Formats: sequence, C-alpha cells, structure tokens
Amino acid sequence: MGDADTILETRSLSLSFGGLKAVDDVSLKVERSKIFGLIGPNGSGKTSLFNLITGVYRPEVGRIFFDGREITGLPPHKIYRLGIVRSFQFPRLFYRMSVLDNLVFAARNQRGDNPVAAVFGRNIYRRQERFFMERGLEILERLGLAEYADKVPSELSGGQLKLLELGRAIMAEPKLLLLDEPAAGVSPILVSKIFKTISQLREREGLTVFIIEHRLNVVEEYTDWVYVMHRGRLYLSGPPGKVLGDRRLMSIYVAGDAAVDEA
Amino acid sequence: MTNLDLFILDSVITAGYFAILALSLNIEYGYSGLIDFGKAAFFALGAYTSALLAINGYPAALAVAVAMLVSGLGGLAISVPAIRVRSDYLAIITLVFAESIRVVLKNESWLAGGVLGIRGIPPMIDLRNISYDIHLVGQAIFVLLLFTVFAVVGWLLTNSPFGRILRAIREDELASSVYGKNNTAVKAVVFSLASAMSGAAGSFYSQYVGFVSPDLFILAITLQIWIMSILGGPATILGGLAGAILFTSIGRGTRILKDYLNLPIDANNMMFILTGVLLVLVVTFRPTGLLKEGRIRSGGR
Repeated sequence: MGDADTILETRSLSLSFGGLKAVDDVSLKVERSKIFGLIGPNGSGKTSLFNLITGVYRPEVGRIFFDGREITGLPPHKIYRLGIVRSFQFPRLFYRMSVLDNLVFAARNQRGDNPVAAVFGRNIYRRQERFFMERGLEILERLGLAEYADKVPSELSGGQLKLLELGRAIMAEPKLLLLDEPAAGVSPILVSKIFKTISQLREREGLTVFIIEHRLNVVEEYTDWVYVMHRGRLYLSGPPGKVLGDRRLMSIYVAGDAAVDEA
Repeated sequence: MTNLDLFILDSVITAGYFAILALSLNIEYGYSGLIDFGKAAFFALGAYTSALLAINGYPAALAVAVAMLVSGLGGLAISVPAIRVRSDYLAIITLVFAESIRVVLKNESWLAGGVLGIRGIPPMIDLRNISYDIHLVGQAIFVLLLFTVFAVVGWLLTNSPFGRILRAIREDELASSVYGKNNTAVKAVVFSLASAMSGAAGSFYSQYVGFVSPDLFILAITLQIWIMSILGGPATILGGLAGAILFTSIGRGTRILKDYLNLPIDANNMMFILTGVLLVLVVTFRPTGLLKEGRIRSGGR
C-alpha cells in the first residue's frame, strides 16, 4: 500500500458464520489522524469487521494492512503491539480488579508483565508502575472517574463503564483506536464528553479513530468520513454531510432487504 | 513427648505439605481461573522423582530440584494441549492426565516398583539419631520453610503486573488478549510453576513418609486439595494454608476426639460429615472462602 495517508486498509474481507455472511467483500481505507465513522443497522457486520481487524476472527478471504504492513491472521495481542486498540460495545472489564488496575493493565511495554521480573525485579518495574498509575489517574480525572479509582467496576453505572472502557483504550496509547458504540446507552452529557475527549486526542496526538455509532447527529458533527454497512457489505461511503443526506441510507433502515437491490 | 504430641506434630507436617499443594492450586485456579484436576499427578511426579534419586544416593538438594523440574515439565507438557481449550475441557484433560500417570506408575514395575512402590526413602534432614521427637520438629520446620519460600514467590507473582494478567485471564480472556497479553504463554508459565511447587511438596512427602506407591496419589488427594483451596480462599496466598490446617484439624481431630468422647458415629465417617457440612456452609455463606482476595499490591501506589 503506497498511500502514506492510509493507516488501515482492508481488501475484500469476508467472514461467514455457517450460512450467514457476516462480512462480505469489504474493502475500505482509514486515513491517518482522521475520525472515520461506521454506521449501519443491527446485524450489518460492523462489530464483525472490528473483530476481523483486531484478530479476534480470521478472515476467510481478504487481507488487512496496517501502518504499512500486512496484519492478516495475526493474533490479537500482536495486533495490539502494532498499535490497534479497540473498545467493546458491551464493556468487557475485569470486574474483580480495581478501576485503576483495569486502566494500568492496558499500558504498553510493562516490565512487570514478565514473571521473572515480577518475582526478582520488583525494583525494576516499580518506578514504571508508579508512572502508569499516575497516568491512569490522569485519564480517570479527565473522564470524571477519579473518585472511583480504588473501587471495582461493578460499582460504576452503565455510562461510567463505557467511559472506563474508553479510558482503558486511551491508556493503551493507540495509533488507531476502534470504538464500538462508545456512546450507546449513555446519557447525552456523557456522550458529548466522550466525543470531545476523542476529538482532543485526535488534535493533540494525531490519533486515528474508527468508530461505530448510531446517533447520526454525532456522526455528522465529529466524523470526517462515513462508511455504511448493510447485510455484511459496504453500502455507501463519503463525507458525513453527503452520506447522511443520501436517500439510500434511510432506505436500508426502512426497506431492509429491498434496499440492497436498489444499490 | 506423648503419642498425642507426635500425632499433632505429624498433623502439622501434613498440613504443611498440603498447604504447598493448595497454594499451587490457588495460583492456578484462584488467581488465573484454570481448573486443574490433576494435582495428584504433579505431586506424584515430584514424589517419585525425588524418591528414585534419594534411594540412589543423590543429595537432597538435587532431589528437590529435579523433582520440581520434572513436575514443572509435566505441567508444561499438559498445558500445551490443555490451555487452548475451554475450562471444562481443561478439567477433563488434567483429570485424565493424573489417572494416566498413576496407572503407568502402577503397571510399569520396572520404572518405580509398580504396585509395591518404593520403600526405604531416606529423610533429607535426618535427626532420628537424636530423637524421633526432634526429627519430627525438624521435618515440621523444613516443610514450613518450603511453604514460606513458595508463599513469598506466590505473593510476588500475584502482586505484580504479571499478577494482573492472571486475574485478567480469569475475568475475560478476550479483553486480555486484545490488550496485548499473550494468554497462552502466561497460562503455560502458571501451569509449569504451580506444578513445580506441587513437585516440591511431593519431594518433601516422599522423604518424610519414606515410602511412595501409586495408591497414595489417587483422585481423592486432588479433591482434598480443592476442598482446602475453597475453604481457605482460592484467590489468596495464605488461604491454602488456612484450608489445609482446617481440613487436617477435622480429619485428625475426629480421631483424637473419639478417645475422649463417645461419638455416635465412626471417626472416619464423622470427618466426611463435618468436612461436607463445612464446605456447604462456606460456599453458601462465604463464597470467597475464609480469606478474601486482596487488591493488587504492585508497589505503584
């Protein structure tokens, strides 16, 4: 892939579960330091696409390129190491660990992850651990969760869990951040907080974001480009103003199966 | 010393090596969520390896080290097929592995004495020429020292970023791998280390009892270790010790008690009844066990 501005590219990705084609011949590009949106009705394959990109599933057909190298078939932990981090639609936190430990877990290159260092090198990893804890607290502060640092996630509300899920992803210092409906089921005040945090990260750190979102007003306000999926296929793409005004977008929500034929 | 004192001292030693076994299970199951029904096999591997070396005149330190190595390698070997499967299959694989080891030890008499086992294993610390009482005190100190070493290692392992990965694997494997942890490698390490600890317990056991045979390493041993872990608190370092003391006290206590009280039931049956009742009570009213899982003390704050 020669395009310097492209950070992620998929070529004809396909994945099926039994007879169902969850992702069907999807080729798309995500550009560096932009916010890309992904919309589509339930079951249209958005989350499956994220699962393919992060190595949770292996594609049956197609290839994935990230930051100039092919990542097709790599396991999730190696894809994380290259800089792709995702959040989950339904928060997958560690419920018997403190909120702060949930964050620090995501930090990169932890010296104490090694069992030998854990036993013999406490002094080697401790300083780094302090640094990560401080950064974790800063992130919690920014998300308004600082007072919960020592609590367990089960004490948080649903919206706060979403924020924590986002905070954990930020802690991992991604180059490409995949967010799976970070604002679903979240109060409007928290929604703007989530999206402001994401925009700030893009502006300050040049982060690239690929985001699944249902609220079209939010998509219009924050994204630079939108992809629409329908029944596993890439259905529409373009700048948000154009895509959201496209009559075909409404037709997939209203007409369902009939919409595909029209495309 | 009276016979009762010796009996109590023997109980302390028994609780000691079971505490090591329960600690190793706590690291596997309590912290990492890995179900291991093969504890008896790793215990047996350590006991037999150490026994074979000891009767052939190798020094004690070497016997312990090789016993740990063999058990650790056994753990690593079983982890390769086992850790890629779901936890219930892991339970079955480890169970089958344990029974296979036992049956091989039983039937291959050229290897380690078959059904007769190995007799006359010399103690590693032999104080019998002073007095048998002192010898037992020495053994008690030996096993408690071993436990202390493993407890410190276990504490350091679980209260570190590595310990955070263990808990993450227990809570949500997918989230753990998406956040960059190589779960497969971590599980292999856990299985090897915990099995090596079980091997050390086996090594101690064989030199203390002076005799090993396949019938000593039946499934009931594995289940006893599980009961101790659950009673004491699976996700703790000292819970295994608490569970081992409790379990041994019930077992031995009923036998002492029968000499003083006119028990309506046979002491052995009394032990099963009491243990079962206690297990039901703990699981119902205090599912975390006697001791509770603490926060991760990784030194960051």
